[in-house]
Amino acid sequence: MAMKGKNCVAIAADRRFGVQLMTLSTDFQKIFEINPRTYIGLPGLATDVQTLSELFRFKTNLYKLREERDISPKTFSHMVSSTLYEKRFGNYFCEPVIAGIEKDGSPYICSMDLLGCINHAKDFVVSGTASSQMYGTAEGLWEPELEPEELFETIAQAMMSAVDRDASSGWGVIVHVITQDGVMTKTLKARMD
Amino acid sequence: MFLTRSEYDRGVNTFSPEGRLFQVEYAIEAIKLGSTAVGIQTSQGVVLAVEKRATSTLLEPSSIEKILEIDAHLGCAMSGLTADSRTMIDHARVEAQNHWFTYNERIKVESVTQAVCDLALRFGESANSEEALMSRPFGVALLIAGIDEKGPQLFHTDPSGTFMRYDAKAIGSGSEGAQSELQEQYHKSLTLEEAKVLSLKVLKQVMEEKLSSTNVQIAVVVPITDDFTNKKKGGFSFLTEAECQAVIDQLA
Amino acid sequence: MQMYEEQKSSCPVKVPVECRFSPYTDNGGTTLAIAGDDFCVIAGDTRQSEGYSINSRYAPKVYQLSNGSVLATGGMYADGVTLVKMIEQRLEWYRHAHDKQMSSGALAQMLSTILYHKRMFPYYVWNTLGGLDEDGKGAVYSYDPVGSYEKQKWNCSGSAGHLIQPFLDNQIGFTHQKEKAPLTLERVVQVTKDAFTSATERDIYTGDNLEMFLVTQNGIEKTRVELKKD
Repeated sequence: MAMKGKNCVAIAADRRFGVQLMTLSTDFQKIFEINPRTYIGLPGLATDVQTLSELFRFKTNLYKLREERDISPKTFSHMVSSTLYEKRFGNYFCEPVIAGIEKDGSPYICSMDLLGCINHAKDFVVSGTASSQMYGTAEGLWEPELEPEELFETIAQAMMSAVDRDASSGWGVIVHVITQDGVMTKTLKARMD
Repeated sequence: MFLTRSEYDRGVNTFSPEGRLFQVEYAIEAIKLGSTAVGIQTSQGVVLAVEKRATSTLLEPSSIEKILEIDAHLGCAMSGLTADSRTMIDHARVEAQNHWFTYNERIKVESVTQAVCDLALRFGESANSEEALMSRPFGVALLIAGIDEKGPQLFHTDPSGTFMRYDAKAIGSGSEGAQSELQEQYHKSLTLEEAKVLSLKVLKQVMEEKLSSTNVQIAVVVPITDDFTNKKKGGFSFLTEAECQAVIDQLA
Repeated sequence: MQMYEEQKSSCPVKVPVECRFSPYTDNGGTTLAIAGDDFCVIAGDTRQSEGYSINSRYAPKVYQLSNGSVLATGGMYADGVTLVKMIEQRLEWYRHAHDKQMSSGALAQMLSTILYHKRMFPYYVWNTLGGLDEDGKGAVYSYDPVGSYEKQKWNCSGSAGHLIQPFLDNQIGFTHQKEKAPLTLERVVQVTKDAFTSATERDIYTGDNLEMFLVTQNGIEKTRVELKKD
């Protein structure tokens, strides 16, 4: 899940990794730093999550060497989109969420389906098994022009309440709040079941 | 009593020209042959007491059952053709359990009494499609005691299916004497202990045998606190032989 | 519901034609109930839909019952209507037989048995029953179509149940929060309105109107709020 605030964005994910009802890991990383102003969340098939994260690391490093600058969130999202669409037939099972701050300081968020169709939103985007729950909580809690601290509280509450009502999500939540000055990362304990 | 028998004696549900149902009236008479049973209602609970008429010294007194439990909060004493009460008690028990199953609450004393009385006139030839259950009226009267949201209550039913609420009621062979004694002795502020003693005192006066802890039985329905919900409810229980003896000792 | 016309052809061979009839439809909609200390709020939207089409913008599925309880019925509208008629009949029978009004707890158990008696051909209804218990406290009971039920403090079921339930956990149950604001009737009404306006944004089966029943010791107040109609 990613949310926009006032000159800031937040991205959050749960920490569970499991096959259907069996929990295999409780500190699974789903959110990856692309650069200090761009983060990507990759919920889906674990092998694709890891393959894609490595692929994007490779692609963004190459981009940086060629262009001598960090990739912007918007450009990156199109890179992700085309990467997914390349595998139109025989696709990755992953629906990414991207959050970042543009060069001009404006917040940027988007989500994608597993073929790379981008969805831009003015408020928040969600993805994963608890998406309907997150739609409900985020739709109820989100307000425009939230300051970083408020944005953190909003996304944390929305995320934790949502994963509590999804059997396939949980084991704590990790939140990154991205501002122009840096990134605040917090790992939250919730219902550990 | 009814020395001149008429043709209206035969049809079990045929009115006589005087407007009487003889078989029902005879059934009420049958109760007066039964052993005496007494019920007393107090603000602290209801007492039921019966005499157990042992017809033989070889008879095991504990096998005579004239007080039965209907549900945890309901008890019943009987007099008359006690075998007939099987049908009624079974029905009452089913009705009480059904009510609990459907509504998750204990059935009211009046409701269970009504349910029993619904059976009373199901005798004779069937009028319509509905099958008649019995060939004759019940020959038993019941004293139904219990506690519900309206507090401790005592009901009396007879073979006609009529039921009434009483403060104190006696049925059976000694009922006339016992009832007038109850009439004299009963007052609203009677305690449960006093009611137990009074019930035996009344029985003692009308019993042919000498009253002892083996030829009487006492049961009570008292308010108890539910362990689970912490709310008041009725609790039916028999007095043990020793507890019975303790009451007898107070008779003096 | 699907019916196939009997085949009209010159084919000399008779082939059995398959006919299918599905007795169930989902008419969508969302219901919500919240129990307070001395009150209860039961609400539901009034949209009735079938697939992508809207049958009615005002087809209430929350009913005030004659014993002072309120029943919200989600799922198949026709089954809900039938069920409520039957409950009303049973409530009247109970009044005659026992000379008293059925309590909300007794009704809760009765509804469970009514539903379970149709275990093999159930009413396609997700019920939520709200009212006050014998002590005047708010009570909410929620059911599945075959009568499994639970007493709850808050519940949301129906097409937007997945969306609203975690929101209620947060706003009524105060999960993950240090401070717990007192649960007043005003707050519950506000949270209910917010929940439905939010759900209307994301769930196509929820919208048009919100009908709320506020049950207190003084009686039942019914209010209506407009929701988005898109």
